[in-house]
Amino acid sequence: MTRFLFLLIILWSFTFNAQNTAVSSNEKLVYTASYNMSGILTDIAQVTMETSNVQTSKATLLRLKCTAATYSKWDDFFRIRDLYESYVSPKTLKPYLYKRNINEGSYFKAMKYTYSHKTNTIKSVQTKKKNQVENKDFKFSLGAKDIVSTLYNIRLIDFEGMNNGSQKTLSIIFDRKETKAYITYLGKETINTAIGTKTCYKISIGSQSKILEGSSNNVLWLTADTNKIIVYGKFKIPVGNGELKIKSASGLKN
Amino acid sequence: MKKIFTILALITSFLAIILAVLPVSNLAIIPAVLALIFGLLAFYFSKKTGQVKKIIQFTFFLTIMALAITTYKAVFTKTEVANTDELEATETKSEEDAIEELEELEIDDIEIDESELEDIEL
Repeated sequence: MTRFLFLLIILWSFTFNAQNTAVSSNEKLVYTASYNMSGILTDIAQVTMETSNVQTSKATLLRLKCTAATYSKWDDFFRIRDLYESYVSPKTLKPYLYKRNINEGSYFKAMKYTYSHKTNTIKSVQTKKKNQVENKDFKFSLGAKDIVSTLYNIRLIDFEGMNNGSQKTLSIIFDRKETKAYITYLGKETINTAIGTKTCYKISIGSQSKILEGSSNNVLWLTADTNKIIVYGKFKIPVGNGELKIKSASGLKN
Repeated sequence: MKKIFTILALITSFLAIILAVLPVSNLAIIPAVLALIFGLLAFYFSKKTGQVKKIIQFTFFLTIMALAITTYKAVFTKTEVANTDELEATETKSEEDAIEELEELEIDDIEIDESELEDIEL
């Protein structure tokens, strides 16, 4: 599931700052994640991506929340309850705080990044079971983002201005390391989804690490409108391949 | 030949019934179809020799059971997420903690400066 989420995050990750014209503060996207078992796709988990405003005494931030939960029939075999969050500027989606809470059966891991954009450093805190806490500060390069904020930042890309086959490079911070990912624009395609027939931007993704197998095997379809929401995705990881299909979408900006 | 197909039919029909009762019930279709093929072949060769053993009928019974369970589960089982109370509690607590942590950040860190609005070459 972590790998699956990593893929999802990579697909959304981006290394530029532009004004947010695509993500609203009350958006909710629900997906079904399926895994290919012996040629038969089996629904495994529900992935939800939600946004909401968070008010502090100094500013209003946008909370980007991604959760993954296995369907009840799988809970007795492997139970996943993962939470990924990023608190970003509502205008530019620049991240200030990132939190990750992994709860997969007996495995638990929490991670927190506090960004300092002035010094380009991140203060991280990793917690594992039995209160194993590990603090680490590290530098990050300009434009590098955690997986959740990059996942939303991809929606700010101007695909209309891209030619078929043109590529963009992303820097994603995952497990306190920066990884390069490559997005290739493959043109427009019309597909049927649970929320209707949509004309989409089709993009493929590859990564520097071995977490994704081959760039042509990991493909995303984003609606070719101003919202640019992910409606369908295909992925291949070392342990197999699967799909991500949209189930419902509400609170869209446009 | 008769023996081989009977053994194969028995193995695949058992596999089909085991998969049918697990959450991966839709995978049971593959061994169930194989069990039917092997069972029919075993039946054909047994007919040729004049005696059809009960074990072949038993494999058909198992296969039909497996297909019935698979079909029932595919039609009537709802794909839903349950027991999310713990996750919801984690989400609420995480947000409360995050607000506290964000309060500690310098206001300059949160305010959006002009450089933020500039596109950065990839």
